[in-house]
Amino acid sequence: MDFHFSDEQRMLRESAREFLQTECPKTFVREMEKDPKGYTPELWGKMANLGWMGIVFPEEYGGVGGDFLDLLILLEEMGRACLPGPFFSTVVLGGLAILEAGTESQKKEFLPRMIRGELILTLAHTEAATTQFDPFLITVKAIRRQNLYFVEGTKLFVPDAHVADYMIGVARTQGRTHGREGITLFLVDAKSPGIRWELLKTVARDKPCEVIFQKVEVPRENLLGRLNGGASILEKLLQKAAIGKCAEMIGGAQFVLDMCVSYAKEREQFGKLIGTFQAVQHHCANMLMNIEGGRYITYKTAWMLSQGIPCMKLVAVAKAWVSDAYKRVAALGHQIMAGTGYMEEHDMPLYSRRAKAAEIAFGDAHYYKKVLAKEIKLDP
Amino acid sequence: MRGDEGGKMDFGYTKEEEQFRERLGNFLDRELTEEIARQNWEDRGVGPEAREFSRKLAANGFLGMSWPKEYGGQGLSPAYDFIVIDELGRRWGAHIPLDVGYTMVGHTILRRGSEKLKKEFLPRIIRGEIEFCLGYTEPNAGSDLASMKMRAVEEGDDYILNGQKTFNTEAHYADYHWVAARTDFSPDVPKHRGISLFIVDMNSPGVTVWPLRTMSGEQTNEVFYENVRVGRHRLVGEKNKGFYYMMEAIDSERNHVFTPFRLLPILEELILYARETKFMGKPLAEDPVIRDKLAQAAMELEVAQVLADHSRWMESNELPMTYEPEITKVFVSELEQRLVDTGMQILGHYGQLEEGSKWVPLRGRIEWYFLHSFMTTIGAGTSEIGRNVIAQRGLGLPRS
Repeated sequence: MDFHFSDEQRMLRESAREFLQTECPKTFVREMEKDPKGYTPELWGKMANLGWMGIVFPEEYGGVGGDFLDLLILLEEMGRACLPGPFFSTVVLGGLAILEAGTESQKKEFLPRMIRGELILTLAHTEAATTQFDPFLITVKAIRRQNLYFVEGTKLFVPDAHVADYMIGVARTQGRTHGREGITLFLVDAKSPGIRWELLKTVARDKPCEVIFQKVEVPRENLLGRLNGGASILEKLLQKAAIGKCAEMIGGAQFVLDMCVSYAKEREQFGKLIGTFQAVQHHCANMLMNIEGGRYITYKTAWMLSQGIPCMKLVAVAKAWVSDAYKRVAALGHQIMAGTGYMEEHDMPLYSRRAKAAEIAFGDAHYYKKVLAKEIKLDP
Repeated sequence: MRGDEGGKMDFGYTKEEEQFRERLGNFLDRELTEEIARQNWEDRGVGPEAREFSRKLAANGFLGMSWPKEYGGQGLSPAYDFIVIDELGRRWGAHIPLDVGYTMVGHTILRRGSEKLKKEFLPRIIRGEIEFCLGYTEPNAGSDLASMKMRAVEEGDDYILNGQKTFNTEAHYADYHWVAARTDFSPDVPKHRGISLFIVDMNSPGVTVWPLRTMSGEQTNEVFYENVRVGRHRLVGEKNKGFYYMMEAIDSERNHVFTPFRLLPILEELILYARETKFMGKPLAEDPVIRDKLAQAAMELEVAQVLADHSRWMESNELPMTYEPEITKVFVSELEQRLVDTGMQILGHYGQLEEGSKWVPLRGRIEWYFLHSFMTTIGAGTSEIGRNVIAQRGLGLPRS
């Protein structure tokens, strides 16, 4: 057992933190919340130059050849900085799906461009009927006519669809609306005729979209993975996405704790630093416990994923725990920062709003505890 | 790997560790019974079977793995000791049979004791032959431990001890008292700088043990000292450094005592109970609320395990621990309370039945744990003191 990061991983974290402190100050984060695109091509280009988009991809596609843990370090730092923009959609949801399920020619076509920062990707998955998270509730249809598929239906909460070049569309090619059988993934050109999108206004102001597909043509060679075999690809992808989101949340939660601890060491009331009060100390201790548990369970699960060890149980544990833990940390942070932290221009709301969005993304504790109930063999 | 240099993240066990676990598991399946497990865990007094089990555990090479060879150990990584603790724990919540000596006192003797003390005590601890009990708490020194009043005054080659200790669990069957007493009485010395540690034979003249019965039926004790004569060679380390030694040992104690694996049998019994027990013709395991509660407990157990693994890993690699074992302690003890509360809710009416009653489910274990769980967040330091430690040592917040 070894909880240490390698020297390279530590350097990666340090340089990422430094870079984001300079390039992604909170003024920029707030600006991007109001910006119609939500990111700038300048920063995107700089991130590509650092090799961030290629961190987890093999060198043959222009990547850095790192492993999943390296990607998690970046995501943790991005969560700490509240980095806006389509990194998660592009690299985790798009890139990893292509790497996992793509043909050699699809990998060659998409990955090098994505890694150079020339291609923005996303995953069009959730639908209106998914009022509670369920990855296999898919009604959007893809119907085959000769060498074309026609995609028809509406997707919701598609991250960064408004800036994406390609979307991985999750569609039903067979079977009932709910179930693993008959789900197929497609690489859909986001500029295809028949696609319309509209920004949704959300608590995190991160601009997920409604995407309407009306007889959208997708050539047969853009099928990603096997026909009707999308569920297992999706399952693997969502495991990595959930753990990636956990890393992002841990980074954010750690920032909240750091901010509260420094505040408690300088803010005086009743003639004393508030950090001397046991009530404040216990809030801070609870925040640290929530974060430490979350950090190690996230990295343990990531290690299992990168070793190819089946770990649905731990994915469920991690996403359920971290989703709730970040929320608790944010709530305690608000107690410590008090009135000043309630103001819109304060950093605190940037984190508590994102904590809520991240909790929902790829399944919350409610969903994963249902998964866990099966994993601990509650069913006969 | 030692020190703070870079490694490679790895959450697995080595092949040697896995083989050791398997060999140990086979031994425990053969030799350990629920009765032996409970004798120690419930502080009912370690009976002849448990003493015999303790000696066998040692004879088969499962004690003292990380201890130096010169005192009877095997000079391996502490990771092996933790495997023993886990494998015992997953079987009825068992612990090292004579655990105070083995998991707490022995490490301080090794670190701070004279060569004479090491030679006298360590081999017998590793052979599973002797037990200690801690003599720290006093009626007016609980959370504020440094304010203890017991006195040890030098007289020739001896110290004369007078005073009273309380909540000294194991005192009624331990062979030795690991007792802290004041040795500097000048008012200008801060109270934590005037305390020393001694090893006292429990059958020394002037030592009296009075039983105290806890709400869950365990025995703990008051221990009275009246002019008890202790040889100077039984002073541990330096005079007036005792409080530092106690604090120094706390992290390792937490790592060795607060073991998430010991809660696994409770969860597993509850899962089985929920599957096999019906209400209105349907298994309880189909009730979404019960499923959610058990999943919550299973989740928290996994988090507890990785927290424990982290602070154990720090100890195994001699990294400086500050707040990590305290987090494990607070988390595991509070998890036990929540888990047992869930258990009592699942058992419904039947939850209140005690062991031996007609209709009692799960041998009354959940009811016993329910009573016992009031102690876990108090014993070895309350959750509140624990949070002070985490905030002050871990986060650098100023002292209250």
